[in-house]
Amino acid sequence: MVLFIEDDAPVIVQGMTGHQGMTHTARMLRAGTNIVGGVNARKAGLDVTFPAAKDGQDATIHVYGSCAEAREATSATASVVFVPPRFAKDAVVEAIEAGIKLIVVITEGIPVADSAYFVELALQHGARVVGPNCPGLMTLASSEHTHGVNLGIIPDGIVSRGPLGLVSKSGTLTYQLMGELSDIGFTACLGAGGDPIVGTTLLEALQAFEADPNTKAVMMIGEIGGNAEQDAAQWAAEHMTKPVVAYIAGFTAPEGKQMGHAGAIVSGGKGTAKDKKEALEAVGIRVGRTPGQAADIMREVLAGLDQ
Amino acid sequence: MDLYEYQARELLEEQGIPTPKAIYAQNSHEVAEAAEQLGYPCVVKAQVKIGHRGQAGGVKLAKTRDEAILDSEAILPMTIHKHKVNGVLVAEGKNILHEYYVSISVDRTSRDYDVLATANGGTEVEEIAREHPESVKRLHIEALDDFDLEAATRMAESIGFYHADVDQAAQILLKMWKCFKENDATLVEINPLAKIGDPDDESSKSLCALDAKISLDDNAAFRHDGWKRFADPMANDEFERRAKEHGLHYVHLKGQVGVIGNGAGLVMSSLDAVSGAGEEQGTGIKPANFLDIGGGASAEVMAASLEIVLSDPQVESVFINVYGGITSCEQVAKGILEAVETLGGTKPIVVRFDGNAAAEGLALLAESNTPNVHVAQTMEEAASEAARIAANAQKTKETN
Repeated sequence: MVLFIEDDAPVIVQGMTGHQGMTHTARMLRAGTNIVGGVNARKAGLDVTFPAAKDGQDATIHVYGSCAEAREATSATASVVFVPPRFAKDAVVEAIEAGIKLIVVITEGIPVADSAYFVELALQHGARVVGPNCPGLMTLASSEHTHGVNLGIIPDGIVSRGPLGLVSKSGTLTYQLMGELSDIGFTACLGAGGDPIVGTTLLEALQAFEADPNTKAVMMIGEIGGNAEQDAAQWAAEHMTKPVVAYIAGFTAPEGKQMGHAGAIVSGGKGTAKDKKEALEAVGIRVGRTPGQAADIMREVLAGLDQ
Repeated sequence: MDLYEYQARELLEEQGIPTPKAIYAQNSHEVAEAAEQLGYPCVVKAQVKIGHRGQAGGVKLAKTRDEAILDSEAILPMTIHKHKVNGVLVAEGKNILHEYYVSISVDRTSRDYDVLATANGGTEVEEIAREHPESVKRLHIEALDDFDLEAATRMAESIGFYHADVDQAAQILLKMWKCFKENDATLVEINPLAKIGDPDDESSKSLCALDAKISLDDNAAFRHDGWKRFADPMANDEFERRAKEHGLHYVHLKGQVGVIGNGAGLVMSSLDAVSGAGEEQGTGIKPANFLDIGGGASAEVMAASLEIVLSDPQVESVFINVYGGITSCEQVAKGILEAVETLGGTKPIVVRFDGNAAAEGLALLAESNTPNVHVAQTMEEAASEAARIAANAQKTKETN
């Protein structure tokens, strides 16, 4: 188990036949992900061929009418959700009830009440939701004979296997830091998501990286809004043995304005980048002024570990 | 989306939560008519989407028609904490015996709903929490809970409502919850939830929502056609409106460097880099806007974005920051060049690419020799260059 998922785990895609779903299913297949089915009630029975997508060979993926049917036929343990906002809640609930244990929700624009509902339902069923409004989860293979999984839209080929873990509220900043630290490499990169309520918080990601024996240090990327960074800082101070380096975006964000992400808003003077930086630094987590500087700090920290 | 008090009241009334009679008015003539209809004393309240309006003089009591007119003439032209007043609410005056505070909001940390309440209401809850932290109760409604009258009664008791008020308070809590859920709200706050009536006549006493604040979840707009009526005439920043028409996330910040990028986090990071450069260079140059073009930026999206950013007369330079994930930077470069051609020229643009086909994209821009299009290797360099250009342009403007 790398981060919430085994290498080569069988994966289904909900909303595979849509534009986003098709594009990214082809990409995930090329990255070596073991995609075993799509789900769409209206297109059940269809076989979709992705040219040259699996080790250079065409991959034909069957579309099932429901998650339960897909799980029955394929024993899938994970699902990636590209379903549009108005149908996303039903899609995630369906996956949870079908017994899928890891559900990565890429969709942006899901009402917060819907997310609150399926996140709580997942907790009750012992399932894990990642996202919504996130770039997904990517793990790097833990052996030469296996494939890591690429669940979502994180570009493949930026990084290889290494000792770092990464968790982030933002998509492009994830890629940026992956790029900056590509020579060192990662065990897993997790997009937590930019919504007010997400299935896997920064804190929960730190817990998972702390428990993963191959991860030596964690890069954490936060942004304005909420208290997720402060909560993570407090947990790290009390429980974390591995070093964490952070970057926070949004020092220039004005009060009361939503900065792109639904959750990225300073309200009533709360959730500012400054508060987050201070909370992290107070527990000894260094915070880079820019993504580049955060990467430099990580290098220093790793050099310190080697001594 | 935040609502004005007069709109929030409407949603409370739909659930049958008692509120004083009130009329929304936009000029002193309407205020006079409203006051006559409601009787005296009445309260004239500024409609603004910001707290502390009372201390700012935005709430006045009127005992006569003339007072109501004078009050409204004082309040209507006001700007309170940078928010222009959008009309007034004229409400019947009530004899207040006690004030409670109750709110329901999304709790991001516990991932459910937070009920915040105190038997010492009236002022801003932050102040109450500071002065009497023990009196503020924080309770939760879990996302899968069925919050019913029994649960509401238990909650009213633990909040500390006086015994005589518990039954009505429970009804109001239940109705607030329905208002919250049915309207996809992220906040429903009643402050004060006042006990009103004649102090000597027990039967006249009841709870009444004297002021309310409601925020709605923009992500849920697709299932609430009625929200169109809440469109805010005061929130008509021309640039923000135009960006919205193109489906772009834009926030007007009123500095000098226009910022365009892909992904909310990267754009926020770019804003910070511009502010940082302005500070370092001692010019105080700041970002003019936040603009996220999202994934897979086409030439059309780039052209629309540049056009909006460049039409801001404050903008002296533009910083374009793109990390090519799935999108190829080469395609984005083509988009920029096409956009500049469509616009027939541009103010100085500094472009930084990274990721997928970054080198090809930068080469394309460099080869095109398009006047005013510059390339930089890192985000810091690009921000610094854009800030320097903006500062020089501003200096030139001032000396002319």
